[in-house]
Amino acid sequence: MRLSEIMGRLDLAFWPQAALVIFLAVFASVVWRLYARTSREEMERAGRLPLEEEGVVGRTGTK
Amino acid sequence: MSTSAARTDVVRTAAIEPQLGRRPGSVVERFVYDDQIVRMFVLATMIWGLVATLAGVFIGVELAFPKANLGLEWFSFGRLRPLHTNAAIFAFAGNSIFAAIYYSTQRLCKTRMYSDVLSRLHFWGWQAIIVSAALTLPFGITQGKEYAELEWPIDLAIAVVWLGFFGVNFFGTLAVRRERHMYVALWFYIATIVTVTILHVFNNLSLPLAVVELVKTGHWPRGEEWMKSWPVYAGVQDAFMQWWYGHNAVAFFLTTPFLGLMYYFMPKAAERPVYSYRLSIVHFWSLVFIYIWAGPHHLHYTALPGWASSLGMVFSVMLWMPSWGGMINGLMTLRGAWHKVTSDPILKFFVVGVTFYGMSTFEGPMLSVKSVNSLSHYTDWTIAHVHGGALGWNGFLSFGMIYWLLPRLFQAPLYSKRLMSTHFYVATVGILLYVLAIYTAGITQGLMWRAFDESGRLQYPDFVETVVRLVPFYWIRVVGGLLYVVGIVMMGYNAFMTWRARPETYVEEVHEAPALEREYDDGPLPETRLTANIDAAKQWDSKYLQGWFHRVWERKPLKFTVWVVAAVATASLFEIIPTFLIRSNVPTIASVKPYTPLELVGRDIYVGEGCYNCHSQMIRPLWHETVRYGEYSKPGEFVYDHPFQWGSRRIGPDLAREGGRQSFDWHVRHLENPRNINGQSLMPTYAHLLTEKLDFESIQGRVDAMAMLGVPYGDAVKPGEAVKMARKQAMEIADTIVKQGGYADLGDKKVIALVAYLQRIGTDISKPADAAPAAPAAPATPAAEEPKKAEAGGAGGSVASTR
Repeated sequence: MRLSEIMGRLDLAFWPQAALVIFLAVFASVVWRLYARTSREEMERAGRLPLEEEGVVGRTGTK
Repeated sequence: MSTSAARTDVVRTAAIEPQLGRRPGSVVERFVYDDQIVRMFVLATMIWGLVATLAGVFIGVELAFPKANLGLEWFSFGRLRPLHTNAAIFAFAGNSIFAAIYYSTQRLCKTRMYSDVLSRLHFWGWQAIIVSAALTLPFGITQGKEYAELEWPIDLAIAVVWLGFFGVNFFGTLAVRRERHMYVALWFYIATIVTVTILHVFNNLSLPLAVVELVKTGHWPRGEEWMKSWPVYAGVQDAFMQWWYGHNAVAFFLTTPFLGLMYYFMPKAAERPVYSYRLSIVHFWSLVFIYIWAGPHHLHYTALPGWASSLGMVFSVMLWMPSWGGMINGLMTLRGAWHKVTSDPILKFFVVGVTFYGMSTFEGPMLSVKSVNSLSHYTDWTIAHVHGGALGWNGFLSFGMIYWLLPRLFQAPLYSKRLMSTHFYVATVGILLYVLAIYTAGITQGLMWRAFDESGRLQYPDFVETVVRLVPFYWIRVVGGLLYVVGIVMMGYNAFMTWRARPETYVEEVHEAPALEREYDDGPLPETRLTANIDAAKQWDSKYLQGWFHRVWERKPLKFTVWVVAAVATASLFEIIPTFLIRSNVPTIASVKPYTPLELVGRDIYVGEGCYNCHSQMIRPLWHETVRYGEYSKPGEFVYDHPFQWGSRRIGPDLAREGGRQSFDWHVRHLENPRNINGQSLMPTYAHLLTEKLDFESIQGRVDAMAMLGVPYGDAVKPGEAVKMARKQAMEIADTIVKQGGYADLGDKKVIALVAYLQRIGTDISKPADAAPAAPAAPATPAAEEPKKAEAGGAGGSVASTR
C-alpha cells in the first residue's frame, strides 16, 4: 500500500480544526503576554528607534 | 562600485566612549549609508508606476470599447490584463518596497547594506524580470494562474534575485548591524522575504515542456517550447495552492512590507514615535498567525471542500480587528500633529493611504463571508476592492514615502509643494471615481445575474445584457484611472525638477556606532511571581509569562526568522495536507476522461490567450447559476486540469458547461469576430487563430508531460501516436464545420484545437462511464439556435440543475 493511500485513509479532517484552536491560542497568548508583561519604558525606547539618527561625525562626498 | 568594507573605518577611541555611554575598549566603527541604491529603486518605482497604471487605463478602455485593441492579438484584454496586474504588483509596488527597505534597514541597523554588489544585482535582476514579463505575456506565454503567470525560466530568475540577492543582502545586513534591537519594521521585512519565497516556490512547481522533450520525447526543444510548463497540481489542489499563494501574496507582498514602510516612514514624517509599539507587535503576529489561513475565501461555493472554505472565512473575519489595530496605530501616530496634516501633503498621502488600508481590511473580511461572497464573487466588486487597496494603500504610501525621500536623496528642496498637493487631490478624486463606479458596476451585475421574474425565469437570461449595463461605469473608471496617471506624471515632473537642482556632489554623512559584541547581556530574568511552586514553574513564569523570551527574540534575527517560517509553514501544512490527502474531498467520476491530444493543445491555447481573465469555469451550487449555466461543477471534473481554469471574474459568461451548446461553426465565427454573432459583445476578436497554423509536432510532448504528471493517457504516449490522433480529430472537426456551412481548410489551424477544447468542456459528467475519451464530444448540429443564447452560454430555457 502506498503512503498516499495510507494517509488518504486517515481521517485528517480534524487537522484544520485543531490547528485553528492552536493558532488562535498561541496568538492570544502572545497578545496577553505583551500587554500584561512588558515594561512601558522598553516599548517607548523601541518605538523611538526610527527617530534616532545619532552618531553623525562628519561628511564626505560622492558623485 | 564600492563595498561596505571599503566604506567602514574601524576606530578605537577611548575619548568618545564615555559620552556615548559605551564600555571602554569597545570597537567604534564609521560608515556611510548607500543612498544611491535607494535613488535607483525610487526612479524605478515612478517609471513602473506609470507603466502599470497606463496599462490599466488601456485595458479599462478595451472593456468599454473593444476595438481599442486594434484587432491585434498582442493587445487583447486576456493577454494584457496579466501584464497590468504583474506590473502594478511586482514592478510598481515591488520597487517601492525595495526603496523603503534599502533606506530604512540601513538606518535601523546602523550599517551600510551588507553588499553593494548584491544591491545592484538585486536592482538590475528585478528590472530584467519585469522586462521579461513585458516580453512574454503579450505573446501568450503564461502559466495561466493569476499573479503567477510568468513562465518557469522567469520563475527561477525570481527565486534567485529574491532570495539569492535580496534575501542574502538583507539578512547579511541584519548580521552586521550595530543596533541590538530589531525595530518592528524589520520584522515585517523578514516575514515578507521568507514567506514570499515559500509561496513562490510551492505555487510554481511545474513541469516544463522542454524537460519532457529532452527526457522523454528525445527532441531538442524548439523556441517557444522552452517557455511552456504545466503545474504539478491539478484541479481542486491547483486551485487551492493558487489561492493560498494569491491571497498570501497580497498579505506578504502588498501588506507586510508596506506596514514596515508605514512603521518607519510615518513616524519620520510626523516626527513622532509610533503610537503603540505593543500594538505593532500584535499587528505583526496577527498577520503571521492568521493571514496565512485566509486564502480559501477566494473559492467559496466552488468545488473546494466546504471545511476549507469555512476555515478561510473564519480566519478572514478574525483578521479584521488586528488589521484595524494596525490602522489605528498608524493614524494615532499623528496624535498631537494633526495640524501638520492640513499643511503637509506627505502626511495627507499617509493618512489617506492608511485609511484605505482600514477600508480594505474591513471590506476583505466582509467579502469573505459566504453569503456576501455569493453576490460579490465573479463581479467587479472584487476589482473595486483590490483597487482601493492598490491605488489607495500601496500607491499613496509609496507616494508619501517618495515625496519624503526626494529632498533627502537629491539634497535639494522639493521643486514644488503645490504640485505635490495637486497630485494628492487629483489622485484622491481619481481613486474615488474608480472605486465608486466599479462598486456600482459589481453590485449591479451581481444582482442582475440572480434576478428572477414573476414567472420564475431569469430576468436577464442573456448574459450580455448584464455586461452592456456596465459600460457607462467602465467609462467613469477610465476617467478615474486617467486622473491617477496624471498624478503620477506630476510626481515624475516634480522629481525630475528636484533632481535637476541637486548639488554637484552628494554629501554623505559619516556615522559612527560601536560594533555589536558577540557576547551580550539580555538583562536579568524578571522576578517570578510564584511562591509555592516548583522551580520549573517559576522559570516558566519568569521566562515566558512575563514576555522576556520575546525581547530576546527581537535581538536574534535567525531565531526570529525560524519562528516566522515555522508559523507560516505549520499553518500552510495543516491546511494543505488534508486538501491533498482526504479522499472524499475529490470524489472521482468514472466518466471523466483525459482530454484528447487535440483538446489538450486547444486548452493550452485557451490558457495562452488568457480566457480565464474573463470567463470562469466553475458553476456554483446556487439556483440562479444552475438555471443559467447548468449542472453545478464537481471536484472530480477537474482532476486532469493542469492548470485549473476556474477564473475569478465573469466579464463573459461561465464556460463550465460550454461543450455541445453551440455548433463547431458557431464557435469559429464567434472567435473570428464575436460581434458577428452578438453586436453587443465586448469580447476581443481572435481572427488570428483562423490563420495561424497549429504546431502538431509539439503535441506528443504535451501528452507525454500530462502522462508524467499522472494523467492516464494509455496508447497516446507511444511515439507519434498523439500527433496522429490529433490530426485525425482535427480533420473530422474541419469536415463538420464545412458541413455546417463554415470555412474550409481549417484542419491545420489553431482554431480547430481551441474549438475542440471548448466543445469538450463540462461534457464528461453526462456521459456513460465507459465512453471512449476521444469520442466526438459535441453534436454536429447546433444544440441551440435561438440568438438569445448566443452570448449567454446558456439561457433560461436550459435548466439542468439537479441540486
